[in-house]
Amino acid sequence: MTDQKPLLEARQVFKGFFGNPVLKGVDIALHPGRVHALLGENGAGKSTLINLLSGALQPDSGTIAVDGKPVGRFSPAAARAAGIAVVQQELSLTADLSIAENIGLGAFPRRFGLIDYAELHRGVRNVCDMVGLTEPLDMPVADLALGRRQMVEIAKALFRRPRVLILDEPTSSLSAHEAGILARVIETLRDRGTALLYISHRLNEVQALCSHVTVLKDGGVTADQSLSGIDGEGLVRLMVGRETGDLFPPRAAANPGALRINVEGFSAGLVRDIGFSGRAGEIVGIGGLVGQGQEDLLLGLYGAIPARAAKAEVSGKPGLPAHVGSANAAGLVYVPADRKHEGLVLPHSIASNLILPSLGRLARNGFRDRGAETRLIAELAKRLTIKGDVARPVQALSGGNQQKVALAKWLPLDPSVLLLNDPTRGVDIETKREIYLMLRGFAAEGRLVIIASSDTPELVHLCDRVVVLREGRVAAELAGEAISEEAIVGAAMGVDRKGTAA
Amino acid sequence: MSAVSSSGWLYGAIQRRRNRGLGGLYLVVAAFLILYAVLFPGILSVGGFSKFTQNWFPLALVTMAQALLMLNGGITLAIGPLVSLGAVIAATTMEGVFGVPGGIVAVAFTGLAIGAVIGAIVAHLRLPAIIVTLAGSFIITGVALILLPRPGGFIPDWLSNMLAGHTPVAFLLLVVVLLAWKAFLATPLGLGIYAAGDNPVGAFRSGVPVERAKIVAFALSGLLAALAGLFVAAQTGSGDPVIGTPFTLNSIAAAVLGGVGFLGGKGTMRGAICGSLLLSVMINVMFFLGFPPVAQYIAQGLIIVGAVAVPELLKSWRAKR
Repeated sequence: MTDQKPLLEARQVFKGFFGNPVLKGVDIALHPGRVHALLGENGAGKSTLINLLSGALQPDSGTIAVDGKPVGRFSPAAARAAGIAVVQQELSLTADLSIAENIGLGAFPRRFGLIDYAELHRGVRNVCDMVGLTEPLDMPVADLALGRRQMVEIAKALFRRPRVLILDEPTSSLSAHEAGILARVIETLRDRGTALLYISHRLNEVQALCSHVTVLKDGGVTADQSLSGIDGEGLVRLMVGRETGDLFPPRAAANPGALRINVEGFSAGLVRDIGFSGRAGEIVGIGGLVGQGQEDLLLGLYGAIPARAAKAEVSGKPGLPAHVGSANAAGLVYVPADRKHEGLVLPHSIASNLILPSLGRLARNGFRDRGAETRLIAELAKRLTIKGDVARPVQALSGGNQQKVALAKWLPLDPSVLLLNDPTRGVDIETKREIYLMLRGFAAEGRLVIIASSDTPELVHLCDRVVVLREGRVAAELAGEAISEEAIVGAAMGVDRKGTAA
Repeated sequence: MSAVSSSGWLYGAIQRRRNRGLGGLYLVVAAFLILYAVLFPGILSVGGFSKFTQNWFPLALVTMAQALLMLNGGITLAIGPLVSLGAVIAATTMEGVFGVPGGIVAVAFTGLAIGAVIGAIVAHLRLPAIIVTLAGSFIITGVALILLPRPGGFIPDWLSNMLAGHTPVAFLLLVVVLLAWKAFLATPLGLGIYAAGDNPVGAFRSGVPVERAKIVAFALSGLLAALAGLFVAAQTGSGDPVIGTPFTLNSIAAAVLGGVGFLGGKGTMRGAICGSLLLSVMINVMFFLGFPPVAQYIAQGLIIVGAVAVPELLKSWRAKR
C-alpha cells in the first residue's frame, strides 16, 4: 500500500491561535484505498488538522501536498478541485433549502448558467440511495432529525465524487443502523481507491474499519503506524500516554460532612423523577452518554430551568432554589460547559472577569473599591497559578486557563456547592491536572463539588461517588471501589452489570 | 424510491414546498383584497387596478431589495436614500443628450455601483451591515441634495403617462422583475445567497463564494431601490431629494410581515411580496376610510408586532399541547 504515492499529505505543519500552539509539527499522509484513523483526546488538535487538510485554515508553517506536490495557498475551493471532501462535525446545511439543493450546494450541475435540476436529481438520487436516504428530495432539511441530517451531510460529500474523504465523528448522531450503512459505504469507497481519514471516539469502529492510525496528543504525533496488532488498550495508551496516577490527585480519606443537597422525585428538563444527594467534602461525578440529562440536573439544582421535586433540601433549607439569585444566596455556583459564551466575557481582561461576581460585594457606598479589587485579583491569580499579566484579554489564554478563570471568579463568594459542567472539555493535560488539584482542594475545604463529565477516567479517578444517568434516570450509583470505567460505560450504555456486553 | 424522472419534477416539488407556512399570509392578503374591492369597487376596472398597482409597485421593489439582504443575513438602512437618489438622477439626466434611455442606464448603474461598494465594505472588512448602510444612507442623502437641492428636474410626460397612467404597465413590470428573480434563484449564486445567510461557515465550506454572494446581494438590492426611485420620479413628474425616506422602514416592515427572518436564510421572496401587498392595501384602506394619520401609524405598528408575535404564540401554544 505504501508503495503508492499519498493523495494528500501534511508535512510538518504548525498552527496556533491567539499565540497558543495547537499543532506542533504534524505529519500525516493519506494513501488511496486505505482507511486512516485519526485519534486523539479532545483538544489534541484533530479539528485543526482537518481544517488544514481541507483548506479552511492555512498552516503557520509547513506544507500541504496534493499528489506529492506542495500547494501554495490552499483554500476550500482548491481542496474541492483536488477532490477532497469533508464531513464536518458541525453540519454545513441550510435549513430552509431542500435535501437535493443542500447536497448540490457549491457543486451544482449547470445548464445555461441555471442549476440543472434534472441532472441534480439524478446525481442526488444516486448518492442518497448509497446512504439509504429515502426521504423526498424536495423536503427541507429543517424537517429532518439530527441523524438524518448527518446522512445528508455524508451524501453531500459523496456527491462531489471525492478522491479523499475526511469524516469527522460521523457516527456521533447516527443510529446503529445508519452507522452500519456508513461502514458499508466506507468499505465501498476504499475498494474503489478513495483515500479516507476517519476520526472517531468509538474505538471499536476504528478497529473494524481502519488499517492505519495516526495518534495526536497535545498537538504532536505520538503514533503513525499500522493498526494490525494493536488492541483498544494499546490505542488508549497512545492517546493518553501518561499513567493516570500522575494525573489525578490522591483521594482524601472518605470523610463526608453534612448533607448539602438532598432531593427526591426530582425532575428538570430531561431528568425524570430521580433522587440525588451530596455531602460537604465530596466530589460527586455525573456520567453517561452525551445528552442524558446531566446538564439539566445541574441547571435544575441551580434554579436556572424549571424543576420540581417531591422532597428537596438545599444547603439546609427546604425546597429548591426558585431562581439563580436564590441559588447563589444558598451558596451554589454553576460553571457552564460553554465557557466562551456563557462563562466568560472573552474580550475583557482576566482581571475584570475574575472580579465580575464580586463587584457588588466589594463596592463601598455604591462605588467600586479599586484597592480591594486589586488585592482580590492578585490573590486569585496566585491561587490559580494564572501566569503573566492579568490585564490581557481572557481570549488570549488557552482553553484550560480560560476554564481556570471561569472557576476562580466564583471563589470570593465562598460557595458551599460548586456545580461544574464538563470543566475539562478541550483542556490540555497539564491544566487538567491543575484543575483536578483545585477541585480536590475545594472538597478538602468542606465544599461539595458536583461535576458532570464526558471524560470517563476523570469520573473514575477524581470522584468519590459517581451517578450515571441514562435517558434522564439514574442508571447506576457507584462509590469507592465500585467505580470503574467498565461499570460507568456499562451503565451508560444500558448493559447489565453482570451480563454480557450488547 | 422513484426512478430518475423527467426534468422539472424536482424543481416543481421544491417550489411547491416553499409555499408551506405561507397559507395564513395568503388568506389574510386575499381577505384584505376582497375588503378593498368591496369598499372601492373601482379597483376592478383597468384604470383602478392600474392606480392600485402603481401605489404598490415601488413598495414591492424596495421590499424585494430589503428581503434580498435579510435572506442573506444582512439588512439595509440605505433603501430610502437610494430611492431618493434614483429619483434625483432620473430627473436630472433625462433631459441630457442620451435622453430617457441614458437616464435609465444612469439610475441602474448608480444603484448597482453603490450597492456593490456597500456590499464590498460589509463583506471584505467584515463590518456589520446595519452600521455601513446607516453611514451610507447619510452619504447618499447628501449626494442627492447636492445634485438637486430642492424638488424639480425633468421627467418627460410620455414616460410618466406610460408608467403611471391608466394602463397596468407597472404591474407587468413587477411580473417581469419577479420572473427575473425566479431565474436568479435558479442559479447557483442565487441559492448561495440563501445558504450564506443561514449558515455562512457551512456555505463557505461547501464552496459557495460567500463574499461574492454578499456583494451581489447588495448590488441587486441597490439596483432595485434605485429603480423604485425612477418610478417614483415618473409618478410625481419630478425629482425630490428626500422623497424616499419612508421606504426604509416600510421595506423592513413589509419583509417582516411576509415572514422574512432577521437572522438570515429564513423566509421567501414570495412571502415578502405578499407582505408588501398587505402593507400597501392596509395603508390604502386606512387612508380611504379616513383614519387620521396618527391612527394609521399606530395601527401599522400594532399589525407588524402582531404579525411577528402571532406565529410565535401559536408555536408555543402547540408545543404545550
